[in-house]
Amino acid sequence: MSGANGIPAERLVELYSQMVRIREFEERVKRTFAEHPGVIRGHTHLADGAEASIVGSVGAIRDGDQVFATYRCHGYPIALGSDTAAMMAEIYGRAGGICKGYGGSMHLADPARGFLGTSGIVGQNIPQGTGAAYAAQLRGRGEVVLTFFGDGASKQGAFHESLNIAAVWKLPVVFIMENNSFSATVRTEQEDANAAAGEPLSMKAKAYSIPGVTVDGSDPLAVHEAVATAVDRARAGEGPTLIESLVYRLSAHGNSIAPPGVPLHYPEHEAISKYGAVEEYEAAKRGDPIPRFRAHLVETGALTAERAAEIAQAAQAEMQHAVDFGLESPFPEPHEALTYVYA
Amino acid sequence: MWRIRAMEERVGQLKRAGEVHGLIHLSVGQEGVAAAVCGQLRDDDAVYSGHRAHGHTLAKGAPLPALLAELMGRVGGLCKGLGGSMHLVDVEHGMLGATGVVGGNIPMALGSALAARMRGGDAVAVVFFGDGAVQAGQFNESINIATLWKLPVVFVCENNGFAEFSPRSAHTNVERVSDVVAPYDLPRETVDGNEFAAVRSVFGRMLAGVRAGEGPALLECLTHRLRGHYEGDPDRYREAVSKAEWQEKDPILRLQRQGAADGWLADGDPAEFEAAARTEVDEAVEAARRSPFPDEALAASLVRAGGKS
Amino acid sequence: MTNETTREIPYIAAINEAIHQEMARDEDVVFFGQSVGNNPEDPFVKAFGDGRVRVTPISETAEIGMAAGAALAGKRPVVDCTMAEFLLVAMDQVVNEANRFHYMSGGQVKAPLVLKAGYGFTAGWAGQHTGSIYGMFMGIPGLKVALPSTPADAKGLMATAIRDDNPVLFLHHYLLTLEKGPVPEGEHLVPFGQAVVRREGADVTLVATGWTVGHALGAAEQLAAEGVSAEVIDPRTIAPLDTATVLTSVAKTGRLVLVDQATRHSSVSAVIAAEVAEHGFSSLRAPIVQVTALDASIPYSKPMEDFILPDTGKIVAAVRQVLGAGVVA
Repeated sequence: MSGANGIPAERLVELYSQMVRIREFEERVKRTFAEHPGVIRGHTHLADGAEASIVGSVGAIRDGDQVFATYRCHGYPIALGSDTAAMMAEIYGRAGGICKGYGGSMHLADPARGFLGTSGIVGQNIPQGTGAAYAAQLRGRGEVVLTFFGDGASKQGAFHESLNIAAVWKLPVVFIMENNSFSATVRTEQEDANAAAGEPLSMKAKAYSIPGVTVDGSDPLAVHEAVATAVDRARAGEGPTLIESLVYRLSAHGNSIAPPGVPLHYPEHEAISKYGAVEEYEAAKRGDPIPRFRAHLVETGALTAERAAEIAQAAQAEMQHAVDFGLESPFPEPHEALTYVYA
Repeated sequence: MWRIRAMEERVGQLKRAGEVHGLIHLSVGQEGVAAAVCGQLRDDDAVYSGHRAHGHTLAKGAPLPALLAELMGRVGGLCKGLGGSMHLVDVEHGMLGATGVVGGNIPMALGSALAARMRGGDAVAVVFFGDGAVQAGQFNESINIATLWKLPVVFVCENNGFAEFSPRSAHTNVERVSDVVAPYDLPRETVDGNEFAAVRSVFGRMLAGVRAGEGPALLECLTHRLRGHYEGDPDRYREAVSKAEWQEKDPILRLQRQGAADGWLADGDPAEFEAAARTEVDEAVEAARRSPFPDEALAASLVRAGGKS
Repeated sequence: MTNETTREIPYIAAINEAIHQEMARDEDVVFFGQSVGNNPEDPFVKAFGDGRVRVTPISETAEIGMAAGAALAGKRPVVDCTMAEFLLVAMDQVVNEANRFHYMSGGQVKAPLVLKAGYGFTAGWAGQHTGSIYGMFMGIPGLKVALPSTPADAKGLMATAIRDDNPVLFLHHYLLTLEKGPVPEGEHLVPFGQAVVRREGADVTLVATGWTVGHALGAAEQLAAEGVSAEVIDPRTIAPLDTATVLTSVAKTGRLVLVDQATRHSSVSAVIAAEVAEHGFSSLRAPIVQVTALDASIPYSKPMEDFILPDTGKIVAAVRQVLGAGVVA
């Protein structure tokens, strides 16, 4: 675990608390499939395992900065302070949802907190984040944009085009690639020439003459340090950075895909179901970033066991409320489907 | 090289005279690359080109009369007048296609390379593109897959310093195209594209490796486009080269000087080659003129393979 | 909404004037693309600086995706996509991203941007640069599509496009580039979703877009000499599409000929034909006839190119056909 780099103990506990809240939220989303069959429709992607990377990154920006993410998008708004009850209601398709039921799990947006939206299509939010960074550059107030995407997205043309332009225009954007070793269910080394050669994917930054850094994404302090450095560079007008954050997704890519009538569920992780790599998955669970960070904070005196238990209880209560609120929130009126087609 | 030069200059004239219509991109000044690369390929090697494809097509072995007839919209053209300047195809000689959309040909070459490997044997695919295509997404997608799958493909970038109408520095921080592929493990080299011998030897070495199954390679040829982006381009965005400078750079003159110095070219040879090329072009133009314009019905007849449906 | 002082300027100058005036009016308007601002003499760079006017690499996905992101962040980007077919390289960003943001966020965000592209360059550009591909975009929710046919509309529709809070595809016809016409000098806005009657008539309704409007008017002129009175309607925007003006006209004339440079099965005319068949069937005194491009790519060679495209003669023949097919009332 990296050092705290002068981050006050209270702030460290806050980051820890955000990690616990994200995990609890994702657990409740997952449990909904079993406890309330049919309530979640479509495709849902969970961020469990990536909490350290998310809070370490989002913790390095300030008000006025903006965040772009993919369809695996539940964690970032929680770290940005969004209302988890409205988020859960959105995933349940309710009128009380953060997007009034128009977006669902893959399309959370909370512009008031700088979370401008997501793309459900791999890699396509990368130019969008780059464009927001262009707007930030024109505003001239030193604001930056974090653009999150997975390792698979780096094989999209959008990645190449966007990093090139961001580099040549010196845009204030930090590209954060959460490499979870799988592109959906395909192993990264099956589809990435760098991964196949045993190289870090941050090497790709070479093609644009920008810094490329690989960090341990299960260590929130290491991620925080790398992102803070990149953010400083971006604010100073020196252009973008590519950060590869190594995470291990603890759930499967997404819930099962089935036609209506067939109950949806969360399947076993691909490492086991597809590749039989039981030990790999067990090792990832042993490396779970949340207990790891908790142990570090307790060891360094920033957190007590009692406080940790309180945080866990508070998160449970918050997410119980989110589930209750989501279930009680009414569905939108059918005719509302024709509003918001045009702004 | 003289054949390409004579053809391109003639096409420019025909365009101004209205015998060639549409959008025309000439490769005057870039003949060295086409000749050095295509001259080492076989008919079963696939070549893909972009919108500046006349030279590659001729060098790959396409018959000059059919090539010119295509540019003149005649039924005797390589594509029966359906394709024109930006869409030249000559399957018999392995010229599989030119595409008018920048970068669109790069993934297609991977497909040919994959097919070649599946057939067995040592055929390769070669794709020509400009430095502008390097900033397009397909470039990176293709480099990754070609490297990962060790496909028999040579990426040949003709870097003329301009993407359409603006200099490379406006498009990217990375000056050399060969450095854009630095993250990937493939042979990459930059040569003076106006130096025929350099292109020939480096490409030859790469081709041998690719044929031997060692995976893809990238060759960047620094060239100079003597004319605007397209015929009629007002060309205000760049400095013209002086005549004296061009004497130095012109790949044909350089090769002739080299030939004279090395003794394989006699004094009278260059003029003879040029005259022969110009005569061949004149005859091809006359032949093309004798070819009729296509029957209207042809326009609707080839929409889908296998006839009308 | 229109300044009365007009002068004759080319279609392309009218478009540039609208962009220029809107950039002067609203500093959030930015302008970029592969051939934008590529030299210091560029009038946009001179007027607005190289921050708001930028040349981009040949990176369509990034250009259009960046426009979406900059729009979310408060800008009003105008992207010069050069040719309509280049939009296809970045299809996801054109039809599946910015146009859905407002909706998917439950109205929280908006993505005001303009994608400017030329189309229909049937002058020997062959298969990949000449298509009239707007048909595939007109049914995309959240995306608006403008097809100006005159210099004045080119200016007015562009200004409206820039002020619109949605993604707008502004498709200018290459064959009209240098056509001159009267254009208001100052602020000039043409509303979206309002067709214009270019010529009034009583016997037959002609609907045409872009470059084919001129052909329809030419046909109407020719038919007038034969004693046939043709009404010519130009929808100006095809999303939103003003079907009411067409239905009103058909109620008067009872006959409808649709002219479109797009391929028949991906055309505005097919959509209008369906709307009129559903909502105006009782007004029709003859079957609807469509004069469209044939369902083929555009061939290179000129005789074949001409064969594929609609022209004045084909429109006149179609009108004669619907007049001849009259039924007893």
